[in-house]
Amino acid sequence: MVSLRGEHDLTTAPVLREKTESAIADGVGLVIDLSEAEFIDSSIIGAVLDARKRAGESGIGFAVALGDGEPPVRRVLEVTGLKQNLPVRESREEAVAQVQAGPEAPPKGEG
Amino acid sequence: MVPARAENVAVLRRAISGIGESVGMEEAGLGDLQTIITEAAMNVVVHAYDGGDGPLEVTASRSGHSLEIVVRDHGSGFRPRPADPDRGELRLGLPLIAALSDGFQISGGPGRGTEVRVSKRIVGDEEAVEAPAEDLVAGDGTRLSFATDVPVAPVLSRVIGMLASRADLSIDRLADSQLLGDAVSTTGSSEFTDGRVDVEVFDREGCLEIRVGPLVPGAAERLVKGMELPRPLAGSLRALASGISVAEGDGGSERLLIEVEERR
Repeated sequence: MVSLRGEHDLTTAPVLREKTESAIADGVGLVIDLSEAEFIDSSIIGAVLDARKRAGESGIGFAVALGDGEPPVRRVLEVTGLKQNLPVRESREEAVAQVQAGPEAPPKGEG
Repeated sequence: MVPARAENVAVLRRAISGIGESVGMEEAGLGDLQTIITEAAMNVVVHAYDGGDGPLEVTASRSGHSLEIVVRDHGSGFRPRPADPDRGELRLGLPLIAALSDGFQISGGPGRGTEVRVSKRIVGDEEAVEAPAEDLVAGDGTRLSFATDVPVAPVLSRVIGMLASRADLSIDRLADSQLLGDAVSTTGSSEFTDGRVDVEVFDREGCLEIRVGPLVPGAAERLVKGMELPRPLAGSLRALASGISVAEGDGGSERLLIEVEERR
């Protein structure tokens, strides 16, 4: 589990990428916990999306925990349509359960 | 004005939040403002001065029932650039600004710097409820306005992609929307009554609407004609739309309305 606390933007995105990379390399399944994040920007979203893609490629589970997250974080995910798109769970426990259930199914595609 | 450095952006967030509060913007709006300013400022930090230093100007002022934020730089202007790994391949900044605001105008060009002007209605402003209709931006859409030498296609395509995703359109219909957006992007600024490329994008559940204009008379028809596929292909991109119509506006101007609905 990688937890973000406080404000996160371009300045902290590289650290997030490092942490998600090593979690994926460990092969155990990745939960990105945003429940204590006060702010995220598009570079963080980009890192989350990239991590999801890499988790899928590595065949491991992926979920995002939103929890009682600050409204700006929830709002950004809603406004971008990502809340419906990403495996977002309302609590850390649910996110962990999601990840333990296995990797995401490939997205429903063309046709 | 601050040096365009990433560590200054957090300061700008506080500042814009304070300004938002002082004009009566409510909680959700304040959060949006912080994201808007972060995205606009980060674009300057990352792109305007090739990673070096330079001025980043931010102004915020009340305009009617909206807050207008202007972020300006004196850098190299818009040009195609390789994707920055830290910003991701996705370039979500401008679409995010579009999704959170009532619209933005983007102006500038190579060597002239870039200016992004974002407008956001002050929700929480009691007077707004009784305001005359012209002051309020209709619906939940976003208005994009591009100066003549700013490339429209990449920005419009990503904004359409984000709003189509928000409207829960399938991948196919999202792609169709972007193709239609690409066709719109080829419209020259001289086809618009104000000399700028003006497009509004409205999303609601299962439907995306693209409104192009105000256009000069005849421009709408030319735009639709331009959707025809080149030989040896046959057909037109207009077949991708659920509906295309032309609405008349003030002074003989036209608006082209393109609807993309989910197909069952």
